[in-house]
Amino acid sequence: MTPDEVGRVFAALADPTRRHVVEALLRERSTTVPALTATLPITRQAVAKHLSTLDHAGLVERAPASGREVRYRLRPGALDVATAWMRGAESAWDGRLARLKQAVEKPR
Amino acid sequence: MPVTREVEVEATPEEVWEAIATDEGRERWLEQDPGRDVRVEVVDEPHRLVWWWESDEQPATRVEFLVVAAPAGARVVVTESVPAFPLAALAACFAGVLV
Repeated sequence: MTPDEVGRVFAALADPTRRHVVEALLRERSTTVPALTATLPITRQAVAKHLSTLDHAGLVERAPASGREVRYRLRPGALDVATAWMRGAESAWDGRLARLKQAVEKPR
Repeated sequence: MPVTREVEVEATPEEVWEAIATDEGRERWLEQDPGRDVRVEVVDEPHRLVWWWESDEQPATRVEFLVVAAPAGARVVVTESVPAFPLAALAACFAGVLV
């Protein structure tokens, strides 16, 4: 997962409505646009647009169809974002702490 | 899901504090990012400092420093986390699915 992809996921989750959708999916495993609309003060069209943003960021996907109903679920690869963020943050702090060490230690 | 890193330095906790808790000190080692603001939340000199990194495009991350005396001088432990970002929940969910 590239920094761009991680950035896209972070941007997608910076929005409170989209975090609400992800949290609903964590609880319920899968959901539909009408079910989400019932829990949010926004239109079906707006809910569908948020799901599309989450899909584009790689966080959700359409579940295999059962009848006419379109269900969404979290994409298993969503976990990669967590590990990619952690690896990036670890290596950034290794660099910063090495520079901090150099900055505070007196030359001998 | 926080990330924790640490380093031991040959300097006193007070010297480390000056480098992490002041703008002038941070300029010596922390990369400049114009889109990101440091908002200091907890100041417990010289042992504990918490700041938030805030940017327009990403959820805020919380950075906590602990500075303790060590044989060589001081040990610096830093922990960064993303409280608004359900990393841990995502990880727990998929760990449950995959096991």
